[in-house]
Amino acid sequence: MLTLAFDTATAVATSALVDGDEVLAERVSRAQTLLEDVDALLRQAGAHPSDLGRLAVGLGPGSFTGVRIGLATARGLALSLGLRGSGVSTLAALAAGAPGGLPVVDAKRREVFTLVDGEAQVLAPADLPLDEGALCVGDGAKRYRQLLEERGAVVPPDDDERHLPRARFHAALAGEPRPVDELEPLYLRVPDADRNVQ
Amino acid sequence: MEGPGRTLILGVETSCDETAAALVTEEGEIRSSVVSSQAELHARYGGVVPEVASRRHLELVTPVIREALAEADAGLQDVDRIAVTRGPGLIGALLVGLAAAKAVAWSRRLPLVPVDHLDGHVASLYLQPDPLDPPFLCLLASGGHTMLLDVRSHTERELLGSTLDDAAGEAFDKGARLLGLGYPGGREIDRLAREGDPSAYVFPVARVPGLDFSFSGLKTALLYAVRELDADELEARRSNLAASYQHAIVRALVERVREAAEQTGREQVAIVGGVAANSALRAALPDAAAAPLALCTDNAAMIASAARWIDAVPYPKYLALDAYASR
Ligand SMILES: [Zn+2]
Repeated sequence: MLTLAFDTATAVATSALVDGDEVLAERVSRAQTLLEDVDALLRQAGAHPSDLGRLAVGLGPGSFTGVRIGLATARGLALSLGLRGSGVSTLAALAAGAPGGLPVVDAKRREVFTLVDGEAQVLAPADLPLDEGALCVGDGAKRYRQLLEERGAVVPPDDDERHLPRARFHAALAGEPRPVDELEPLYLRVPDADRNVQ
Repeated sequence: MEGPGRTLILGVETSCDETAAALVTEEGEIRSSVVSSQAELHARYGGVVPEVASRRHLELVTPVIREALAEADAGLQDVDRIAVTRGPGLIGALLVGLAAAKAVAWSRRLPLVPVDHLDGHVASLYLQPDPLDPPFLCLLASGGHTMLLDVRSHTERELLGSTLDDAAGEAFDKGARLLGLGYPGGREIDRLAREGDPSAYVFPVARVPGLDFSFSGLKTALLYAVRELDADELEARRSNLAASYQHAIVRALVERVREAAEQTGREQVAIVGGVAANSALRAALPDAAAAPLALCTDNAAMIASAARWIDAVPYPKYLALDAYASR
């Protein structure tokens, strides 16, 4: 069964077309051009939209707008093609691509998203729980490379594959598919306006 | 569905705080128009909060499309092309509707029609059962826009004037807040003004050159008037303040419309946008054409309507299409 997987939560949007365990095609670009990638993936595999069997979508955390572009795309596809899908944490996909590594996604405002005991959290980079020699991956790890390395962490070179939340991992991590309208972004932050109202 | 084949335009609109979908025929007949307003959600903030709006659009965008299809007793197989608001508006909100619309279009190899929100408002006048034919002079007044347009044909319009600061609808909202009324303010002021005397207070209307508008001074004048009153006095005079304030906004709009009519020689005037629902404005321009109230505020039927005169972008040319916040 064909799985279309994508993640638009970070500055680099990833997408993949996967058949069972086999990755048929992969792309990397930006959230705004996600559908162009999806179109290219299907062409490359000689597939038609109606051949798709399920979706695997990155839920973030990351850019609010980016995550919404991915989920709105997934919702439109699901509505039109009658597909179900699974939501996968962008952090979990990053971690799957770098075994033993700590996923660190840039959260802007001098903070990062990461996994603490398997749970997504937003922290200042200085508060990341790091063991000596800990491997850190993701755009947050690149951005705060100096700080993390000073704390004894290992950050692979900027062009290292492991900094990308490759959508093939979303396909691999996808659980039982659900109605796509039920998948919700992992925002981890309330809107500023709510903070002001409270 | 009557007749064979694809005959419907699916419209999607998410530029501000209404999530909307509609199905409209080539002839401008509305088969369904679903609008899920977020007004209540934003009322606690006293205005639209972009991030809150975008989150809600994502939750609602596919449910409103489903509902529009169900109400029209149609399926996507009956849809000929998809019209979606590309801008102007809140960028994060626009991107939700655009992404969903592109995905539906792509999956069926349908053409996509990117629609300018302002063209949508004008095209609300082209819908059945009483479509208006250009040329006409159009006042577009809403929470986001205040402009005078010379609409020459279904595809040509010239901007004659626009607001230099607040939009008319914004002036209503800010005035309502000063008067301790709810959001959205236009409706609240309209209701309260019916019990008040519009000549009780004289609020100045800024005279700016040309056919432009300015409403920020008006809001300041109301602020000063309210500041002098204690709570009991404000309570007693609230309806007079509302009526006078509304009168000033309406007078500013109507004066400009008259001047523009004189300059262009246009005999037909039309009003669109949320402020076109205002009863005092409608009374002051009795001969103006106006869309039904439900089509004055943001909706997707007007977006689908506008698409009837805009070239559709064929698959796959729209796949990388982006939204724009302003032009
Ligand atoms: Zn509008």
